[in-house]
Amino acid sequence: MNGVLAIYRKEMIQYFRSPIAYFVMSVFLVGTGYFFLYNIFSTGVGTMDETFRNMGVLLVTLIPLVTMRLFSGEYTGRTMELLMTLPLKPWEIVVGKYLGAATILLLMTSATGINLVPLYLFGNPETKTILSGYMGFLLMGMACLAIGQFFSALTHNQIVAALITTPILLAFWFIGHLQAYQSSPELRGLFGYLSFSLHFGDFIRGLLRTEAVAFYFAVVGIALTLNTSYLQWRR
Amino acid sequence: MIKLESVSKRYGSRTIIHDISFSVAKGEIVGFLGPNGAGKTTTMRMIAGSTTPTSGRITVAGFDMGTQNQQAAKRLGYLPENPPLYDVLDVSTYLRFVAKVKGVTGAAMRAELERVISACRLEAVVAREIYKLSKGYRQRVGLAQALLGKPDVLLLDEPTAGLDPGQIQETREVIRAFGEHGAVLLSTHILPEVTLICQRVAIINGGRLLAIDSPAGLQQASQQTNNVLIEVSAEAEPLRQELLAVEGVSDVKVVSIGDGFVRAECQVDAQAGVEARIARVIATRWSLHRLERQQSTLENVFLRYVNQSAQQQKEAA
Repeated sequence: MNGVLAIYRKEMIQYFRSPIAYFVMSVFLVGTGYFFLYNIFSTGVGTMDETFRNMGVLLVTLIPLVTMRLFSGEYTGRTMELLMTLPLKPWEIVVGKYLGAATILLLMTSATGINLVPLYLFGNPETKTILSGYMGFLLMGMACLAIGQFFSALTHNQIVAALITTPILLAFWFIGHLQAYQSSPELRGLFGYLSFSLHFGDFIRGLLRTEAVAFYFAVVGIALTLNTSYLQWRR
Repeated sequence: MIKLESVSKRYGSRTIIHDISFSVAKGEIVGFLGPNGAGKTTTMRMIAGSTTPTSGRITVAGFDMGTQNQQAAKRLGYLPENPPLYDVLDVSTYLRFVAKVKGVTGAAMRAELERVISACRLEAVVAREIYKLSKGYRQRVGLAQALLGKPDVLLLDEPTAGLDPGQIQETREVIRAFGEHGAVLLSTHILPEVTLICQRVAIINGGRLLAIDSPAGLQQASQQTNNVLIEVSAEAEPLRQELLAVEGVSDVKVVSIGDGFVRAECQVDAQAGVEARIARVIATRWSLHRLERQQSTLENVFLRYVNQSAQQQKEAA
C-alpha cells in the first residue's frame, strides 16, 4: 500500500509540472461552459441533461490525452526499468497510476460545478438528478481512464497510445447507435449493454441502475487486470 | 550475495545468455567485462529482476528472484545503463520517491537523503529539475538512487560513463567504500577501472562466461604464451629463420621500421631463458638494439578471451 501511495504522489507531481493537465482541464472547462450556456439559452430549460451528454463526448476525446503518458512515458524515459526493479508489485504501479488519473478526472469534474451556481440562482433544478448525472459521469470517466491506461502500457509511443485509445472510446460511446440497424435481439442487447452513452443516459435521467454501475466497474476491473498481467508478462 | 546458477535467456529461438554461473560475495567488487552486445546488460537486468531468465536460478541476498523478488528488491540497488530519471521532478523529490518505495520512512528519510546526496556530491543541484542537469550529474543522481535504502547488493551498468576524470575518481571512491561491506557487480568498458577497484573480473562474450578470476590471476594465466619484442638492424627473412630455430619460440612476425631496422615480435612459451637465447643468436650476426619481454595487460587478456570465443563460435558454426 506504501507503494501505491508513493506512485500516486509521484504521478500527481508529474501531472502538475507538465502542461498537459492544465491544457486538458482548461479545454474541458471552456467546452463545458460553452455547452452549458448554449443549452440553457437555446432551450430555456434549467437542466443539466443536454450539458451532461456534451460533457460525455468532450470527456471521451480528452481522456486519451490524460492517459497516453501513463506507461508510454515510463518506457521512453527508461524509468520502467526502475519501477520494475524497486520493491513494487505490478498491481501497485497500476493502481497508483490509476488513482492519479482518477484524481485529475475528479478535479475537472468538480470544477464544472461552477455552472450549477446560476442554475440554482435562477432556476429550480432537481438536485437528485444532477447528483446522479455527476455520478454517471465520474463512473464513465473512470472506465475510459482504465481503458486508456491499458493501451498506454502496450506501446512506447505516447501518440500511438492516444491514437488507439480515442477510436476505442468513441466506439464504446457510439456503439448504441448500431442497435437501430440490427434485427436480431441478441445483437441489439449486446450493443446496448456495451454502450457507454446508453448507461450514462440512465444516470442523466436520474435512474440509478445497479446494472449500469456494475458495468462501469467491470470495465475498470477488466482493464486494470489486463494492465497488471501485461506488466507481469513483459518481464 | 549474488548467485547465478546456470542462467540462460532466450528470446524466441535466439539464445542471448548461455548457461552462466557465478557468484559475488559480501565485501567483494566484481567487474563485468565484455564487448557491446555480449550480454552484460541482459545479465544485469535479470539479476535486478526487470526481466526473468528462461532457465536457471538467481538469488540476491539469499532470496530467489523467481519467487521472492520483492524481498530481494529491498536489498538491491540498481543503476541501469541509462539512469532512470523523471525529467520533470527535481532531484530531491525524485530521491524521496525512490526512498519511499524502498521503505525508508518519516524520521529516517532526511538522514538517508543527506547521506546519498553527500556521497554523490549532489548538494549543488538538489532543488534543480532533472532535465536541466548535465550528463555527469544525471549519472550521479542515478547512482544516488541506487544507494538509497542501504542495499546489500549494488548492480552498476557502466557507472562512470559520461563522467569527467574528477567525477570518475569520486564515483570510484563511492563504489569502493560500498564494496567494503556490500557486494558490487559493475560492468564497464574501461579496463584500468577493473584493475583499480575490482577484486575479481568476469569476462563475457556472445552470452557466454569465458573466465572469472582476479585481474592478476587472469594476467598470469595468459602469460604462458608471452611476447618478446626485439629491434635489430637486419634483413627480415634471414632473421625470421634464425629466430624460429631458437628453442621456445613458437611464432615470429617481422616488420621493417626503416633505416635498415626491423622489429620482430616473437611468441614464446613461459619458460625462463628464452630472451637470453634469442639475444645470443642475434649477437652472432647482427646488432641488437632493443629486447623487451611484454607483460600481458588486462587489455590483451580481455582481447584474447574475446577473440578465442569468437573463433570457437565460428568453428562451431
